[in-house]
Amino acid sequence: MSVVKRPSGKSKWYLPGILTGLSITIKHMFFNLLHRKDMFTIEYPEERYPYGDRFKGNHVLTVKKDGSLRCTACMLCATYCPAECISITAAEHDDPTVEKYPISYEIDILRCVFCGLCEEACPVDAIRMGPEHQTAALAGSNFVYDINRLAYRPVLKGGVLSRVDDEDRHKRGI
Amino acid sequence: MPKITINGQTIEVAAGTSVIQAAVKLNIPIAHYCWHEGLSVAGACRMCMVEIEKVPKLQIACNTPVTDGMIVHTDTEKVKDAVKWALDFHLINHPLDCPICDQAGECKLQDYYMNYGLYTPEMGERKVKKAKAVSLGDRVVLDQERCILCSRCVRFTAEVSKTNELGIFNRGDRSVIGTFENRPLNNKYSVNTVDICPVGALTSKDFRFKQRVWFLKDFDTLCNGCSAGCNVVVSYNQNGVFRSRPRVNHDVNGYWMCDEGREFYRYTNKEFRLEQVVERNSELGGAAVRGKPVALAVQEIAGQLKNHVAQNPDGVAIVLTAQYTVEEYDALIGALTQMKIKNFFHWKNNEETFDEFDGLLLRGDKNPNTAGLVKVLKKYGVGGSWKDFEAGAKAKKFKAALVAGPENQSVYPDLAKRVEAVSQCGEVIWLTSCKNDLFNGFKWQVPMKSFIEKEGTFVNHKGMEQKIKAGLKIIPNAVSLKEFAVGIKESAGVAP
Amino acid sequence: METRLLMQDYDKSGYHTLKGYSDHGGYTALKKAFKMKPADIVTEVKNSGLRGRGGAGFPTGMKWSFLPNNGEPRYLLCNADEGEPGTYKDRLMMEKAPHQLIEGMIISAFAIQSKKSYIYIRGEYNFPYKVVEKALREAYDAGYLGKNILGSGFDHDMDVYRGAGAYIVGEETALISSLEGHKGQPKLKPPFPAVQGYLRKPTIVNNVETLAAVTWIINNGAAAYRKYGTEKSAGTKVYSVSGNINKPGVYEVPLAYPFKDLLEHECGGMKSGFKLKALIPGGSSCPVLTAEEALKSTMDYECMAGLGSMLGSGGVIVIDDKQCMVDLLYVLMKFYHHESCGQCTPCREGTGWLEKICHGIGSGKATLEDVSLIDRVARHMMGTTICALSDAAALPVISFVSKFRDEFEHHIREKRCKVKGHCHAQDHH
Repeated sequence: MSVVKRPSGKSKWYLPGILTGLSITIKHMFFNLLHRKDMFTIEYPEERYPYGDRFKGNHVLTVKKDGSLRCTACMLCATYCPAECISITAAEHDDPTVEKYPISYEIDILRCVFCGLCEEACPVDAIRMGPEHQTAALAGSNFVYDINRLAYRPVLKGGVLSRVDDEDRHKRGI
Repeated sequence: MPKITINGQTIEVAAGTSVIQAAVKLNIPIAHYCWHEGLSVAGACRMCMVEIEKVPKLQIACNTPVTDGMIVHTDTEKVKDAVKWALDFHLINHPLDCPICDQAGECKLQDYYMNYGLYTPEMGERKVKKAKAVSLGDRVVLDQERCILCSRCVRFTAEVSKTNELGIFNRGDRSVIGTFENRPLNNKYSVNTVDICPVGALTSKDFRFKQRVWFLKDFDTLCNGCSAGCNVVVSYNQNGVFRSRPRVNHDVNGYWMCDEGREFYRYTNKEFRLEQVVERNSELGGAAVRGKPVALAVQEIAGQLKNHVAQNPDGVAIVLTAQYTVEEYDALIGALTQMKIKNFFHWKNNEETFDEFDGLLLRGDKNPNTAGLVKVLKKYGVGGSWKDFEAGAKAKKFKAALVAGPENQSVYPDLAKRVEAVSQCGEVIWLTSCKNDLFNGFKWQVPMKSFIEKEGTFVNHKGMEQKIKAGLKIIPNAVSLKEFAVGIKESAGVAP
Repeated sequence: METRLLMQDYDKSGYHTLKGYSDHGGYTALKKAFKMKPADIVTEVKNSGLRGRGGAGFPTGMKWSFLPNNGEPRYLLCNADEGEPGTYKDRLMMEKAPHQLIEGMIISAFAIQSKKSYIYIRGEYNFPYKVVEKALREAYDAGYLGKNILGSGFDHDMDVYRGAGAYIVGEETALISSLEGHKGQPKLKPPFPAVQGYLRKPTIVNNVETLAAVTWIINNGAAAYRKYGTEKSAGTKVYSVSGNINKPGVYEVPLAYPFKDLLEHECGGMKSGFKLKALIPGGSSCPVLTAEEALKSTMDYECMAGLGSMLGSGGVIVIDDKQCMVDLLYVLMKFYHHESCGQCTPCREGTGWLEKICHGIGSGKATLEDVSLIDRVARHMMGTTICALSDAAALPVISFVSKFRDEFEHHIREKRCKVKGHCHAQDHH
């Protein structure tokens, strides 16, 4: 245990310290009142913070040109996810060029830590972390997002196109 | 007995052993695709190249017999380069299918690439296109592009199942595996080709896309489909059991197992199982009551049996199927004989075909422990046939019956008829691992553990004793016959 | 100067019939052979220095002596598949002198004590097949085949078997597989055919020309054969010469004959307006020689090996300066890709890859890297396969790229042919 020797004088009194702190706060207050535009505070929800392109918000499952899900149910995202929040059930597709697709793709959004590892793991750009982050809901709502919500919610306007073409594999012969 | 030295380790082997077999004995890994211990040598993949001293060119290890004093190296730069290029040639026309291929995680191409490859591929041309997702029969799907033409499946159908359904058509890099017209791959051992296929060209329709293999855990057990007692390895995770594959055992099943045996894992999964005790309560007008704790149910059953014995020990019939372990029979018959019960009956499902054998593995006796049950019955000096039981039941001789029902109901095709016969007895206690509406008329249904949830011994047709052990717990309420017997014994107050 | 030993009487009319052949001394060698002991015939052939004329050049007498003495029945197979591009000498020999071949086969069969032999003739040789079949019947009728031939106590049966259009069955174990009724795919060696061949019994496979030479050797003696050629390459060889020369055709000259003389004397030189650029001495599997190397070479096994090539089957392909080497290589790669049997991976995948890279170079879509890539791929296809087709596909690549690299680079840099402006390799297929 060490004993700090307090210098005598000002610091023994609490009042000078309080007044110094208050003066700083009041200075800022007057500055802000007079220079409204230079304030850092954002008037949410009228003003929104412009997050970057790589912001990790709610997931988006991309679609192919014909509107069906790009995901091939390879389960790399489910494997890589540190929170183990992705559950996928794969099924056989009638079209042999597609072959495998997910009939169920669920993310338990309460478990998700929004780390973005699923986006990194996906080999076909099927899952992305989109810009939305304002998805609070009341208790009792469904917090397990399914394909409808992840790929086809209204704000996505019918589905976001994947950058990795699925036809390429067959046309280019790779 | 020639001696061979591989990477400095020496071993003495029988004459005629190949270098790769000697390496397996020494646990030195040599990359290979087409070689398989249970099949003839093809020498097609050219991956098992090794450097033998005093021989100028690299040789394939699978077709080089060991000569005395041979010194082999598998870790020189020359060998590594040869293996890397052999792998490269395999991959240049291989499709980019890893995300949709079932073999991912247990694929030899992936494994060898990580061990011997790790190069930047230089093939920038178009790959050869062939048919995908071709159904070869009832159980196997072929992807011709993924096939590396190791010919293991062709050799299997030629040498092991001797049915010759598969062949290689066309030549050069247009070669494809296929079946002949109107001759699908439907022999009784077809799914073994899926096991031996080193890549994802042959996949099992049953397992296709169900799980990624890295989510599965393996554990060793025995197949309970027939009296052959083939050694298997079962793959499971918290969502259930997914597949059953053969394990090598030269005394029992060699390298293979039959397709029928691969079905039985599914009956251990929740959807087929009886999950709780079901009691038909006469006080509630015969309604079914579910969920009584097993321990309580066993106590009541013990009490009821004791009452029946007190009235007439001959009025109690015990019917046993040969699908439980030796220890379970010993415990149950021991406990019940001590309660003065004498009427034990061995329920054989298809006695007429018991001695059938198809020449490879399949046995006519579709129970894993007939020999074991017979032995235990003999030990206690009891045991009658189903005919005796049926006669007695018809004559309304039995006021109570305890039936240790079959775990695999699919091999008991006349189950309905037999249930009818049993229902002629008064109060019936049916012990089963799988549910069935047929049993709903009985007084008690008690959930039993399946063969992968308990430990014990099965005795196969040859009299060989093999052990099974508990791998996982699927139905928490289930008990083994032994636990049931112990519970009966304690509740009935029988002296140990 | 052409030295016709085997081909001496080929121009005589009717030589392909039994009468025509007998009139010119046919079947005297057989009579001589029956007066010798089989072991002595083997020794005579060994002493003559005869080497396999199908391409490998293995000493024939030595091959015969590899047969084990285990009492198993032996087979003699005549390899008349002749698939090597550029080679058509066996066809001529079978059309003009089938009896010479048959007599040679009976003598060889007697030497190795074989009771059954087959002539495996390629399916495309429809006309030679008919000629040989007729000759066989004549031989049977005359008592030269069948039981107790010429009262010698030696029984022998001979059949002709047709192939079905695959180059790979020119390889001896593939030929055996095809003859057995399986797919014509090579088998792993060991065991070698001399120990376990046709129907797992000891088998000798020899080329048409080799067996025909046996007739001449037994007739005239090993010493007479040795008068021609050199110590290591004895006797004469039949060549089939093709290219833009004045007199393409089949010529028989002694071994170690200078190529310059073959070109100028026998073949009448290059056609006017064409200059010699390169030479493939023995069928497309042999590494190519530049004009300079070719003109100072002699046609024997040693000299060719010394120049990094092979004497091969004797399919001499003369390449003139109006041919594009990239185009030629592309044609060759298409051939090997088509003919690969597909059993082992380096050849199956490698031949396809080589063709695709070649096409890429020819059509100008490749980069300069691809020239060294094709060389590397070819080098790694060598020595790692079940049979030598992979080496046969790789050797032309390595030699063309090393000796004519400028043409390849021109195709890539300028995206057009250096020689022709536009060549076949540029076409999209």
